[in-house]
Amino acid sequence: MDWQTHCLDEVSMSTPTMGSETVGHLSDEAVPGDEPPAKKRQVSGKSPIQIALGRLRKDKVAMTCFTIVMFFVLIAIFADVLQNLFDVTTEPGNPAQQLNPMNELLPYKGPPSGGFDPEHPFGVAPKTATDNLAVWLAGCRTSLLIASLATLVASIIGITLGLIAGFVGGVVDKAISFVIDFFLTVPFLLMALTLAPIINQRFALKPDLYEKAQLWSLVAILAFFGWMGVARLVRGEVLSLREREFILSARVIGMPTTRIMIKELLPNLVAPIVVAVSLMLPAFIAAEAGLAYLGIGITQGNSWGQTILRASNYYDDYALYFWEPLLGIVILVVALNLLGDAIRDAVDPKTRR
Amino acid sequence: MKRNKTLAVVAGFAMAGSLAACGGDGGDDNAGDGPSEFIEAGSGFEKIADATGPAPEVEGSQVGGDITVHVPLDPGPENLDPTDGWSVLGNSIQQALTHRSLTQYRRNAESGDMELVPDLATDLGTPNDDYTEWKFTVRDDATWENGDPITADEVKFGIERSFDVENFPGTPGQEYSVKNIDCGEGYTGPYGDKGGDCAGIVVDGQDITIKMTRPFPDMDFWGSFMAMGPIPLEGSEPPAYGAKPLSNGPYKIQEFRPNETLVLVKNPEWKPESDPARHQYADSWTFKFDADQEKVDAILLSDSAESQTAVSNRVGATNVTKAQGALGDNFIQQTGQCVSYLAPDYSKITDIKIRKAIAYAFDYENIWLAGGQVPNVTRIPASTIMPPGMSGRKDYQPDGDQFTFDPEKAKELLAEAGAENYKLSFIYDDSAPELVDANAQQVKGFEAAGFEVEAIAYQEDAYELFGNKDNPINKKLNLRTVNWCSDWPSAYTMIPPLVSKGSQYNTAFFDEQEVQDRIDEIPTLPLEEQAGAWGDLDEMIGTEYLPIIPTAYRNDLFGAGSKIGGFTGDAAMSAINYKDLYVIK
Amino acid sequence: MFAYIVKRLLAGMVVVVLISIAVFALFWYGPESPARPVCESKTGGKCTPERLANFEKSLGYDNPIYEEYGKYAKGVFVGRELTIGTQRIDCDAPCLGYSFKNNTLVWDDLVKRMPATVSVAGGGALLYLLLGIPIGVAAARRRGSLTDKVLVSSFLVVSSVPYYLFALLAWIYCTLVFEIPVLGSSGYTPFTDNPWKWATGLLLPWLCLGLFGCTQYTRYTRGAMVEALSEDYIRTAKAKGLPASTVVYRHGLRSALVPVVTVFGIDLGVLLAGTIFTEKIFEIQGIGLWGLNAVVAKDLQVVAATALFGAVVMVISNLVVDLIYSVLDPRVRLS
Repeated sequence: MDWQTHCLDEVSMSTPTMGSETVGHLSDEAVPGDEPPAKKRQVSGKSPIQIALGRLRKDKVAMTCFTIVMFFVLIAIFADVLQNLFDVTTEPGNPAQQLNPMNELLPYKGPPSGGFDPEHPFGVAPKTATDNLAVWLAGCRTSLLIASLATLVASIIGITLGLIAGFVGGVVDKAISFVIDFFLTVPFLLMALTLAPIINQRFALKPDLYEKAQLWSLVAILAFFGWMGVARLVRGEVLSLREREFILSARVIGMPTTRIMIKELLPNLVAPIVVAVSLMLPAFIAAEAGLAYLGIGITQGNSWGQTILRASNYYDDYALYFWEPLLGIVILVVALNLLGDAIRDAVDPKTRR
Repeated sequence: MKRNKTLAVVAGFAMAGSLAACGGDGGDDNAGDGPSEFIEAGSGFEKIADATGPAPEVEGSQVGGDITVHVPLDPGPENLDPTDGWSVLGNSIQQALTHRSLTQYRRNAESGDMELVPDLATDLGTPNDDYTEWKFTVRDDATWENGDPITADEVKFGIERSFDVENFPGTPGQEYSVKNIDCGEGYTGPYGDKGGDCAGIVVDGQDITIKMTRPFPDMDFWGSFMAMGPIPLEGSEPPAYGAKPLSNGPYKIQEFRPNETLVLVKNPEWKPESDPARHQYADSWTFKFDADQEKVDAILLSDSAESQTAVSNRVGATNVTKAQGALGDNFIQQTGQCVSYLAPDYSKITDIKIRKAIAYAFDYENIWLAGGQVPNVTRIPASTIMPPGMSGRKDYQPDGDQFTFDPEKAKELLAEAGAENYKLSFIYDDSAPELVDANAQQVKGFEAAGFEVEAIAYQEDAYELFGNKDNPINKKLNLRTVNWCSDWPSAYTMIPPLVSKGSQYNTAFFDEQEVQDRIDEIPTLPLEEQAGAWGDLDEMIGTEYLPIIPTAYRNDLFGAGSKIGGFTGDAAMSAINYKDLYVIK
Repeated sequence: MFAYIVKRLLAGMVVVVLISIAVFALFWYGPESPARPVCESKTGGKCTPERLANFEKSLGYDNPIYEEYGKYAKGVFVGRELTIGTQRIDCDAPCLGYSFKNNTLVWDDLVKRMPATVSVAGGGALLYLLLGIPIGVAAARRRGSLTDKVLVSSFLVVSSVPYYLFALLAWIYCTLVFEIPVLGSSGYTPFTDNPWKWATGLLLPWLCLGLFGCTQYTRYTRGAMVEALSEDYIRTAKAKGLPASTVVYRHGLRSALVPVVTVFGIDLGVLLAGTIFTEKIFEIQGIGLWGLNAVVAKDLQVVAATALFGAVVMVISNLVVDLIYSVLDPRVRLS
């Protein structure tokens, strides 16, 4: 039921999307709360998804969280438009003129010592004199982009392997299960620490590609160690689905395996996958911020994790600078988690009573 | 001496040991109204050949207590073998507390200047007329931590060891012993098949006579390195010995974990009468390496129980004002005789106009600020190769006026050279946000001045890269950097390493016969002419070739808690003067 | 049962071996020779190609990877003699190699550092349960109420803050700003030296780990309790007129605990494998910090050892979890 936020702790660092699903480690029994919705046949003509959506619409917490998440998503999408609108840029500022070396390199104008500065609504950063708003907007985009890509990659890997393992069974299932176990045993942080510089070094000679390479290597690191949860979940679902009449009949009429998997099985897996994805996103956002401390991550662009790292010693001197990215992360991660919980509750009638 | 990892774009190592005596503690003016101006070093540097133990008591000193030294952003020495020591941090700790050598430095409490005084030798050595032979007498009352007396044979063995290029490459012995002490051609120390006795070092009772291959008037300075100290004849095989070498100073090693901690406790066998400069005030020392800068600053500024007996080897530049207010006299702004340079590749950027354009396109203040450095406090605009305070230094400007960020002038120079949009390729370290930010300013400045820029992120050791001719990244570069400090207050430890052909730290690959000839010639001049000759050479190199562009003279900021007494800087080592620290009860 | 354990252990060994091979391969086929960091370190940054070749030869890194790995694996069981440059070291079984950075045998360091990590991990994990379960039960009993929402979301907020920041600020405020007694003096003292100091010094790290990590237990317990409390047998118990607390604790919690305990087993395994953040921030010299420093120094033998150690711990904890699971939940049959 939850493989989410605790991602920054050692606990989940090792397996960011691990959590409840590891409970079913041995047995294929579904964990309470992860009860597949498909099992509960609805008598009415509505599909389970429609019912869940209806429930979500009535859930105030869910709708609030949804609004918040959409707000951040829109910011991320239109980050550059917003930057132009406020006339701010992520280009480095002019510290020699804007910062006071006699006052811990804090800005002369605007917060923390002065009042609101219309040219820099969020203030400017100490040391670099970069505009905080522009960096914040860009950070929102980068953090969401990384988390979304990692979620996408992890889901694709997890769903594919889970489907194959569950449906084909036999040796294939054993092999895939072994791979899943293997990845669950890998000390995630240590591997990430070893891998990141190697990947970066490979691209050092291509500075134009370096920024992209860093982003993708972070995505890859997150995804490679985060797909196991989905794979297990999907495998478990498929195991219970494949003995059902509609699958059996599809087999009997000679439908090709891939077609069964995509046309028949996948639609029935939408709900658990949506739940998994909605809880993976916040985990990855938080993971990015935690990894930044260990020097794993993007050093080129701006992400919230990087901004928090820069701001971490200004919690006292320049609280605004410190809280901007931190609040961004906390609000988004909490909203995503609560939304994920709500979605899970909505698709699972059992916990809704 | 190298500095293991420093936080600056022009990062890398620095060699240390300097004359500049600048207490510069800045705490005596109104606390809180900003850091005091950089105080230029006076060049007081005396040699007290007849200094004897015990060392003068530090005013107000007390015995007892435990001192914790936090070392932010520096992993510390990799091993403690005295022969290996060539880093500012490692040498300043070991030479002050655990390892003795022929000579040492002592802080004069009245003037605040460092003095060269005897250590294991009874005086500062006696040279012959042309400095080709030095004679030292090893004192007979000094002992190892196990109680054994220190013998002249062990000193000889230590010196021989410094020749060992296989076990100790990249150590100061390779620079100063091999080039100056006469052990015969191809001598490689006491170990191995080819190893053996050095005939040029003769021991007679407690006397040790060292023959030189050429006049070497600086032997007394070189004698202050712990590589010129004793090594036990048995049980000292490298590299195992480096994990826990035998101590002979006032403290011995209890535990050493590289990158993490070094714990020192009192050495009961050390006799105060045998040592003219060291004290044994605190009960123990704990060094914490690679500490988190923010955490250390927070500790120091809090005046909590934890902070009162804490010492910080580096105060974050963004806490300068607060540290000054909170720590008062226990905040030290120490000159280091360390200089940062830009090193345009001399074989690729052949036109001096382009090199000058680079000097004008470097956005000095913004780069320092973004990197967390404070102009005129931790970074002083530089113009000469030799740092202020070095004898013979001429204060000249390579291009008439102080180089400042002037993109228009840089553009003009590029146009004159017919090199518009000239492409600069350099590396920068992106392992910490400050380094990334400083590089962003550097790139911005170069681009504003009409350069095309290729900045390559590189997290490994820069000097290793620069020294690797086959590395594809290195092949691409045409702008490198170098940081250097003197090993002792002579340009002999400054100019030759930076501009002579084949030197590891000549990262510009500068090669001009005229300059090379002069470098070889100056050490043969009469002693009193040498300093001035180095100063003239400095000016000649800067104005005619400008192979390396001095960007900053560097200062260090040290801090200590309210219960630490005797807190001063050691200008000779560019470090904290550990010898005089005590805990106030 | 016995056959099952043997089977699982065998499978676990395969995983462990694969992981150690993976670490070897990462260094072997990385952008630079695995001997290079050793060479740079031992030559003070003057690693010429000839010296590099010498080191590769003496370290055996010029051999094919399978050959070297074979020697490594053999060394674990029978010990071996190592050479680094001119240095010769006898490495008795279990030989995990020699750290060029620390100049120590890796196994000795591992043994020396284990107590610190075990202490941190054990205490932190215990707090997961001690904090997470009661809060989760409390939230479940007041399901849908304001208390429930506040409890759940406040822990969610705490665990949304990057952990390093949370721990760092906790340390700064407890130690420096408010100088809270006991909490304010954190650091590791071996239990055998002084049990009281051991406990007080680790209290803050435990609390940080516990407060941060208990969120998932809170939510998990809550979910399982909600589930359990709606089961028929609970309703029966209620209808029988049993006191509410009996119903909740004896019947509800018991079944809810089954999955919680199994998650706990995994988490404990992950923590034991190395509490990197906690050790770094609280300056505790355990396995996590050791691994982190080794990665930075590219000390292959230590990285391999920490990965190996982590994998072994994970395999064992997975196995133990499954065994406990089978005991707690009779429906599960091990096969």
